Amino acid sequence: MGVLLENFTTVTFPQIAMWIIGALLIFLAIKKEMEPSLLLPMGFGAILINLPNSGAKHIIDVLFRVGVDNEFGELMPLILFIGIGAMIDFTPLLTNPKLMLFGAAAQFGIFFTLCLASLLGFDIKDAASIGIIGAADGPTAIAVSMELESKYVGAIMVAAYSYMALVPLVQPPIIKLCTTKKERLIRMDNTAGKAPSKMTKILFPIVVTVIVGLVAPDAVALIGFLMFGNLIRECGVLNSLSETAQKVLANLVTIFLGITISARMRAEEFLTVDTLLIIGLGLFAFIFDTFAGVMLAKIMNIFSKKKINPMIGAAGISAFPMSARVVHKLGLEEDNQNFLLMHSIGVNVSGQIASVIAGGLILTFFS
Amino acid sequence: MLSANILSMKMPLSEALAVSLIGIATVIVILAVIACLIILVSKAIRAIEAKTSSEKEETPAPAPAAPMAKGTSAGQVELINTNEKEAAVIMAIVAEKTGLSLERLSFKSIKLMEDEKKGDENK
Repeated sequence: MGVLLENFTTVTFPQIAMWIIGALLIFLAIKKEMEPSLLLPMGFGAILINLPNSGAKHIIDVLFRVGVDNEFGELMPLILFIGIGAMIDFTPLLTNPKLMLFGAAAQFGIFFTLCLASLLGFDIKDAASIGIIGAADGPTAIAVSMELESKYVGAIMVAAYSYMALVPLVQPPIIKLCTTKKERLIRMDNTAGKAPSKMTKILFPIVVTVIVGLVAPDAVALIGFLMFGNLIRECGVLNSLSETAQKVLANLVTIFLGITISARMRAEEFLTVDTLLIIGLGLFAFIFDTFAGVMLAKIMNIFSKKKINPMIGAAGISAFPMSARVVHKLGLEEDNQNFLLMHSIGVNVSGQIASVIAGGLILTFFS
Repeated sequence: MLSANILSMKMPLSEALAVSLIGIATVIVILAVIACLIILVSKAIRAIEAKTSSEKEETPAPAPAAPMAKGTSAGQVELINTNEKEAAVIMAIVAEKTGLSLERLSFKSIKLMEDEKKGDENK
């Protein structure tokens, strides 16, 4: 009887706090539908790993070592990238390649957060790992923070995925603060640009991989797997594989990834002042990404004859496709005939590429 | 200098700022290069496609087909004692029953069987 009751007496307050955090993540996933595919497994995993003498600790640790922290690289995030690549249609970007620049602008948050984290006393590898929250790209954040051996992987993951889920809440006030009503009413031509040929769509993933690989070799795994998935999609002869990558493969990895990440959500590691700081810095990164994207559009408007709605710059963070939808919705709120989706999706997918390049550069600089 | 600081896990703010500026500049340059390449490749492919299509237009059109024999449909189906309306209905039924589209079916002839018709009338 004493053995059965032993666990009740060994429960600690930090563990209870982690159960509450886990329950909160599950609540956000189910009730608010915020990134449920990842927040729910992470929330449940947080409870699972923080039960006293949890028998799940060992198996979650094994999953973590196999899927995320093995000697060969970050297996799960990279495999997930094949699925993401197969899901992305780069047509809007290929139709208007100038949108690429917005993807770059929205990576400012990564680098400025890196500086801020460094200023706050985090060592440089941890600061770089914290900065990558601004990529708004889960797999990149996992890959970079694991490669740099950051001790804050759990907090970084929670911050990255939570803010991705909170994009509809975080971005609109920033966009509105940075733009005037007149700017938000700017209509953009949806017929501009010719649709890319099939050959262009096939060449695109190959060319991007080669260029990024030559400049930032450490980004090859990330960009290569993303573009491999896209090549499967666009080649036109592997429809079955493309569908499998988009649905079965991506779902399978996602199920395990969320619960695997919870291996780094042990109360003793997670409940620290640093975690609060990381969550605050993550918010700063998202805000600054949004601000920089909008500002670039405003600067381009000074020199451009065809005016750009500055709101589309905010879609440059790679939270795909939430950010593009948020911008489109804001456009419709101002003018119910202002359809920005085509442009915001183009910027959004360029943000996906830009965040991977930024992640690769951080690895090149600091690993 | 950078590697020495990384090894010591410390980096002054000025150096962190410099690394950040180099990083963001590199991202912008890479994306600008990719954007330029997309524009160039798209233009080149369009030019090749335009050239190919103009060459096709320049080649003489094939001679008009010989006039069809009486009783033959436009799809080269020989109709024997059957009008085009009945033939169209029969082809549609065959396509429906076989689950194949008309483009994948080839009809050589449709013939009204006189004996069967008489037999049906006697019933």
